[in-house]
Amino acid sequence: MALLETRGLSKSFGGLKAVSGVDLKVQPGTVHGLIGPNGSGKSTFFNLVTGVYQPDPGSHIEFDGHDITNLQAHGIAALGMARTFQLLRLFSEMTVLENVMVGNHCKTSYGIVESLLGTSRVRQADQKMKEEMLDLLEFIGLANFADIPAGELSGGQRRLLALGRAIAMKPKLLLLDEPGAGLSPVNVDKLMETILSLKERYKLTVVVVEHILKVVMSTCETISVLDHGQKIAEGPPEMIKNDHAVIEAYLGRELPDEEIRNAIRGQ
Amino acid sequence: MISFITNFTSAIESLAKVHRLLPWLIAYVLLLFLPNLITATFGEYYVDLANRCCLFILLAVGLNIVKGFCGQVTVGHIGLYAIGAVTSALLAQNYGLPFWLSAPLAILVTCFAGLVVGLPSVRLEGAYLALATLGLGESVRIMIAVTPALGSSTGIMMIPAPTIGDYVIESFDHYFYLVMTAAIIGIYFSFVILNSSTGRAFKAIREDVIAASVSGINVPFYKLLAFVISAIYAGLAGALFAHMPPGYLHHNNFTVIEMVTLLLMVVLGGIGNIWGGVVGAIVVTVIYDQTKDYYFYQPLIFGITMVFLVVFMPRGIGGVIEQAIVKRKFIEKHEEQNLGTS
Repeated sequence: MALLETRGLSKSFGGLKAVSGVDLKVQPGTVHGLIGPNGSGKSTFFNLVTGVYQPDPGSHIEFDGHDITNLQAHGIAALGMARTFQLLRLFSEMTVLENVMVGNHCKTSYGIVESLLGTSRVRQADQKMKEEMLDLLEFIGLANFADIPAGELSGGQRRLLALGRAIAMKPKLLLLDEPGAGLSPVNVDKLMETILSLKERYKLTVVVVEHILKVVMSTCETISVLDHGQKIAEGPPEMIKNDHAVIEAYLGRELPDEEIRNAIRGQ
Repeated sequence: MISFITNFTSAIESLAKVHRLLPWLIAYVLLLFLPNLITATFGEYYVDLANRCCLFILLAVGLNIVKGFCGQVTVGHIGLYAIGAVTSALLAQNYGLPFWLSAPLAILVTCFAGLVVGLPSVRLEGAYLALATLGLGESVRIMIAVTPALGSSTGIMMIPAPTIGDYVIESFDHYFYLVMTAAIIGIYFSFVILNSSTGRAFKAIREDVIAASVSGINVPFYKLLAFVISAIYAGLAGALFAHMPPGYLHHNNFTVIEMVTLLLMVVLGGIGNIWGGVVGAIVVTVIYDQTKDYYFYQPLIFGITMVFLVVFMPRGIGGVIEQAIVKRKFIEKHEEQNLGTS
């Protein structure tokens, strides 16, 4: 059974159909790539699935056996879906440790009233959580910066922290929105290695949006291609590489000479 | 200066290692001597000033939770203070309830009012939210000003002072013990909240609403919770204000100018910094009181100070100190690492 399944997923902003009728299945335990030219609806797709946007009527999203079509973002997160953002959206005035602890919010073992009273159970649970989170920071290599505001980190460290915050949710499904944006090719390779090792360590399923096709082709088991809000192809990397529709979407269509002449004449 | 503060905090931390409440108890015991000290050096009037400082500490700490931690711009806080004060005063006067019953009931009513003031925050942000809460806060004052049963223009007089058995707490220095205890407990609990999952949820909402919600934080719920918690502080401060000798309250105590003063405390001390808010409350209350002769210029000067603060020191005194400490830590860490590698 698929971990994430969308049927007829659509979203329009005014007259613009950002995503229209996308059917997608993500199999558990895989790395699923989502590619497409700029403006093809990849980020909107993520926002719909994670509940940041509400999908248009007639859409259907199922996650881990639950219908999450009309759930709000925090409810979907509680079911075990985590994501990162293209622009990271770190809590920059909070410390690195606090950032990952917020990620762990859903796993808080005490109630709200208890947290306001500061009972001994709260202190013990927080201490345990802190240790766990420091362990996670150690794994991604940020333990040295635990008590420093996230805003003071370098670009690469911020990307790692964004990843750490998502992992801290102990999710079943991790959605990565352009994890390698703005990194040098060497660092992108390193980041992908980290992502794959995290996937093994925490038994994740990963959906990744990425523009660097080399990375997508080498890490993903299945790739879906979006263009103008529609899914135009899906399959293993070898198939996508040679797919006509995909090449057309990325490079444009090759027109016969006669058609070009007609286009210039305005016919 | 910074090294003094870091030494001071590390000394307190080592005290807290013995027992986490120890620093608080020591501070509490030391403060018990404050009224005698003030009476001996300055005179009894200044004990009353200290009492008012404690009330404003409670208000500023509460406002800091909703504005500083949770990032919701509210200008209706003074309205909650008014509701707490009037409710407790009327319950005591009309129904003869003792302070120990009228105050909790007043806090309950204020909580509900806080929920109402907080409702716009679910949909509105920033300046729009400020406008909505301003309207709610100011409407409370106007309601008090025009309703005879709520005091209208004469105010509520002869509000009974709190009693313990046969003893009536009606002198300034004995009332100080009451308000100081409330202020210390208020500060303590604001730290508890800040360091819990709830406090982290508040801060996450302040930093980035969308990232907070996909991290599993129920944003509307926590926003309302922040308003309700700050209302507890405002309601408590209001009840304490109503029963404070000489037991008189007037709607002029709850004007927008008072709200601006309250904001100035929080901004001066440092938005989102608890001790900053406390220091801001004391500094502003004392200055406000000592410049009463120039009351005509007070709003002008306070307004200008606020503008300068927001432009040149947006994070207030507390923020500046905090940043200096963080910078020091950062540098130390880098030096450690460099030593480690070389």
